[in-house]
Amino acid sequence: MTGGWRALLRLMAVQGSWNYERMLGVGMGYAAEPLLEDLKTVDPVRHGEAVVRSAEFFNCNPNLAGLALGATARAEYEAVPGAQIARLRTALCSPLGALGDELFWAGLVTALMGLALVAVVLGAGWWAILGFLVTYNVVRLLTAVWALRTGLDAGMRVGSAIGTSWVPGAAARVGPVAGAAVGLALPLAAAWYLRGFGWTGAVGALAVAAVGAAVTRWFGPSLTSVRFALLAMGLLLFFRWMGL
Amino acid sequence: MPIALSRVDDRLVHGQVVIGWGRSLGISLIVLVDEGVAASAWEQDLYRMAVPAGVELRFATVAEAASHLDEWQGSPVRTMLLTGDVETMVALHRAAPAIVHKINLGGIHHRPGRRERLPYVYLTDDELHALEAVEASGAKVSAQDLPTTAPVALKALA
Repeated sequence: MTGGWRALLRLMAVQGSWNYERMLGVGMGYAAEPLLEDLKTVDPVRHGEAVVRSAEFFNCNPNLAGLALGATARAEYEAVPGAQIARLRTALCSPLGALGDELFWAGLVTALMGLALVAVVLGAGWWAILGFLVTYNVVRLLTAVWALRTGLDAGMRVGSAIGTSWVPGAAARVGPVAGAAVGLALPLAAAWYLRGFGWTGAVGALAVAAVGAAVTRWFGPSLTSVRFALLAMGLLLFFRWMGL
Repeated sequence: MPIALSRVDDRLVHGQVVIGWGRSLGISLIVLVDEGVAASAWEQDLYRMAVPAGVELRFATVAEAASHLDEWQGSPVRTMLLTGDVETMVALHRAAPAIVHKINLGGIHHRPGRRERLPYVYLTDDELHALEAVEASGAKVSAQDLPTTAPVALKALA
């Protein structure tokens, strides 16, 4: 099987054609096409079916999509029945979504953003943002390479390959790190923002935060934290416009 | 209300189900009702990986689930019934109309023959008619992907 690097490159943009109808499906099909190319000479009919199958509905965390891409491509070469490959794709959406979201969206990105905020407060300036972007993208790239290779090696046994890999342990460990980073960043960033406002500004900010916590608890889900924040900013602009 | 949610979602166990609904409703048990998954150990292993600690995931056929609905309803454990298609949920409703009386359409995606009703709900006419029959028999059917979004009544999907 050739086309691994082209597939990896395409995999990095797998969300480029995200849509409600197939979600990551079309991006996965586009990334699978170089991997399936050799099948064209071996079994042209199977190749056509495999290309169509690879672009069906699919959804998971994009950073772990390579596991599904590699596993299904290998299964196509091993002539696994199409219905079984379709079931594998469907079943992979769950762990690759849950573990990937835990590892990246709730874990790594949150932890790095917390650390970047702390670094900004401590005077790192734009270097903090650069450090965040470089670290995140290096981890993302290395994960994509690992995921595609692991998927290609494992084929239909990808489930046990995921279960015994570093991913479940890392997903469980990165959460507390993210919590600690954000917990450290919040008071530091709040103090940094409130510099120059004096104690009245600090009391006002604390009052808004307390009201926000209370109303989102009592009125959620109709009044989410985002809606409350927008309401608070709107009121602030209104009061300023009134000259208060 | 121990069966706190009866949801149709073809992505089965995923973030919206586990985090979005599971956490906000305090779900401790998810029962995935699917004939194919109930018979496939490797698929069950994959779905188990998607469930956080503290939440139990069980697999059942329609017949097995139907025979346990009374037990789950009477248990203090807050439970979610989850199916991947309309047909399975309709079968559960027919098995126990008084228990499966409020159906949430959470994610039913494109397939040949289905038409877009909402960005996250595609239904064939047959599926829509089956749900209308369920509603005519006294159940409430609505589409709602997350607890934070507004529910959409079945009649708005026609």
